[in-house]
Amino acid sequence: MFIKDLSCISPQKTFEDDFFGTEPIIYTGSQLKAVEPSYADIPRSQLRRMGKSNRMATGAGMPLLQKHKTDGIIIGTTDGGMEDCHRFLNQIIQYEEGTLTPTNFVQGSPSSPAGGLALMSANSGYNNTHSNKGLSFENCLMDADLLFIEGRAKSLLVGCVEEISQAQYRIETLAGFIKKDEITSDKLIGCGTPGAINGEGATMFVLESENDNALAELVDADMISYPTADDLVAKAKLLLERNGLAVSDIDALMLGYSGDSNSDHWYDVFAEQLFPETGILSFKNLFGETPSASAFATWFAANLVNGKSVPSQAVHKPISGELKTILIYNHYQGNQHGFVVVRAV
Amino acid sequence: MEVAELKVKLKTQIIEYLNLLDFTPEDIDDEDQLFGPKFDLDSIDALELSVLLEREYGIKMTDPAEGRKVLVTVNTMVDYILANKAEA
Amino acid sequence: MGRIVVTGMGVISAIGNNVSENHSSLQNGVSGIGKAQFLNSKYANELLFGEVKLSNDALRSQLNVSNLKGITRTELLAFIAFKEAVENAGLSTDELKSFETALLSGTTVGGMVEMEAIHADANTNQAPSEFVSSYRSGAHTLQLAKAFGLRGYTDTMNTACSSSANSIMLGARMIKAGKCKRAIVGGVDSLAKYTVNGFNSLQIFSDEVTRPFDANRKGLNLGEGAAYLVLEREEDAQGKTIYGEIRGYGNTNDAYHPSSMSPEAVGVRGAINGALQTARISPSEVSYVNGHGTGTENNDYTEVHGMNQIFDAVPPYTSTKSFTGHTLAAAGAIEAVYSLLSIQHQEIYATLNWQTQMPEFNSKPQTEFVANAEVKHVLSNSFGFGGNCSSLLISKV
Repeated sequence: MFIKDLSCISPQKTFEDDFFGTEPIIYTGSQLKAVEPSYADIPRSQLRRMGKSNRMATGAGMPLLQKHKTDGIIIGTTDGGMEDCHRFLNQIIQYEEGTLTPTNFVQGSPSSPAGGLALMSANSGYNNTHSNKGLSFENCLMDADLLFIEGRAKSLLVGCVEEISQAQYRIETLAGFIKKDEITSDKLIGCGTPGAINGEGATMFVLESENDNALAELVDADMISYPTADDLVAKAKLLLERNGLAVSDIDALMLGYSGDSNSDHWYDVFAEQLFPETGILSFKNLFGETPSASAFATWFAANLVNGKSVPSQAVHKPISGELKTILIYNHYQGNQHGFVVVRAV
Repeated sequence: MEVAELKVKLKTQIIEYLNLLDFTPEDIDDEDQLFGPKFDLDSIDALELSVLLEREYGIKMTDPAEGRKVLVTVNTMVDYILANKAEA
Repeated sequence: MGRIVVTGMGVISAIGNNVSENHSSLQNGVSGIGKAQFLNSKYANELLFGEVKLSNDALRSQLNVSNLKGITRTELLAFIAFKEAVENAGLSTDELKSFETALLSGTTVGGMVEMEAIHADANTNQAPSEFVSSYRSGAHTLQLAKAFGLRGYTDTMNTACSSSANSIMLGARMIKAGKCKRAIVGGVDSLAKYTVNGFNSLQIFSDEVTRPFDANRKGLNLGEGAAYLVLEREEDAQGKTIYGEIRGYGNTNDAYHPSSMSPEAVGVRGAINGALQTARISPSEVSYVNGHGTGTENNDYTEVHGMNQIFDAVPPYTSTKSFTGHTLAAAGAIEAVYSLLSIQHQEIYATLNWQTQMPEFNSKPQTEFVANAEVKHVLSNSFGFGGNCSSLLISKV
């Protein structure tokens, strides 16, 4: 698969501004809010109903759908319109199951961004939503890959969206997955405290089956849940093997270090066991943690193999030589582990 | 409450319930077709408006056919509110 | 490439706690719709539901997981159907553990069934409830993977009421493309205060028993349940009972409205045509249609309208939602099991409660049970909010 085009709304200035030409934003605390555009292109009659995730998905996705002819839309999102969802839930309690406003219910469904994009772009092609926590983006890639293999699509809009909702933020904090101490994002990795910092945004790709002036290649992806360290290495080896890649072909690892002292050891062990010599990049100190964080990583990696310069904040272990092939390894809360290989074209 | 006052209040509530971006009460004429091209509303908005009537005025519409007669213009909604308040 | 066949089935719904109980209810026209006994909602006694006839405690003890904390009703239902399916297919522990075994499941409400716990966890600073990690979409798939030691591909789909049709579709496509050797596919939803109030706010509940494809239909009855299928390549299924083949699938978006379907039936026609084309069969070869048939004004009109445009003579069609209620994300998988039973036993199930023909059409649904039918190809439709329309074409092997 090839990345023909891409866009990203994130806590960094990735959408309208030149993220790679400016200093990244450094955040304090555990909520990295998206830098949102004005959404001037979304009809006001549609925008009025949209919660944040729908807005961001539409804002990032519609320009790509307008620019490229696509055969379908595949979106990954775990929380969808979680803020709407909780608004509806609060209505149920406040009005004791009385007459409730349906907009929050409809907007709160994870399938709403994919349906909304199809509606606005009049795209009646393939449409699917993967809502699988930390592997949602890898699921989207499998779905897209199959459509290409089957010859049912040549070009697809594929992407992920997540919003920070205050309710889910509190729930994740209770469960111990969010930092309670206030640190700055540039000091995130190795800070030694439990929990991650929350990010949000929408990352969209136009993926194509053939290389027609593509920006980068998505070579392959894989995943495993609840692995042992040995399982993880075995899975990664299989992934490399079936793509004819040696360890030395990987110019850099992009690892999902989230600053969570409970689960960052996975990355240390993985790198030590399989890639002791390889340089390492990080991305969650820029974008924060979301269930579909590997979509941000893929956007980031695709830009880097396409010649963009590496922001110094992203260098965890120095890289020597050219950046042509990047292996992204990311896990979510230590349970779901995913791989994506991005290569220069 | 004066009818004129009620109309402004209702228009403000319509804007709030439907989150009509860029609209002020002055932009909505009493005789504007709520489901005409000006506002681009649909069936979900009709449900939102019936929630408005119940929560703000204590009037519960149970018959969808009634809704089609009432949720037409600001004037038809105001008439309905006044008629049902009088009965209560 | 050989066929993708079904070697195991598991189901729990309002009409039975396993495949054979469901089958017997379908044959005998026994509906599971009634007042809800376990649903925690003020509507439990006001409206009619297709509720599974077991309490959470009963489900837990049946599963032997009485001591496990943080398992929601959604997960309990999924466990029951998943376990039946993998046992039915005779999958070994090693096969379950293989990198080559995928799990794809659909849900909409998921852990949101525990609404009071969510509200407490989101709004107070007390100690977290036992369900704190169960609310988000994907939680039940993770629980299944953990409990059954799965290490392969896992996926959770949410395309509203077509979710599990899409998980069956994607599982079959993965095997076909050589991405995995076998896939356990299906979906689950439990009756929840959240969805009951959501659909109520959209005013699409009937206050009486649902009447799919009836002129005087008033809406749907909400149901709950779970179903899973084990899919394998035919060449890997030697010596196993083969219930049928996942032969065709179509997925399109209606691109019309967030919660209703286009009068032209764009999505319906696209999904059905997709299923027929991938199956390489002509419309006239379809023996029976297990319709989406929710009993709402909008769905039933659009579905029959769409079928009329595809079929010269519309084949017998039914809605088994008149037995189970609308089980949302589980509907596609539950109805796939019913389609496979129809193929296995060469019979067609009734649409219950039907009285009056829809004036717009000259066809009517199958309203009586037909034994000794000739069933070769079953079309199963699932349409969801957001315009997500999917159809499966399930065939006799």
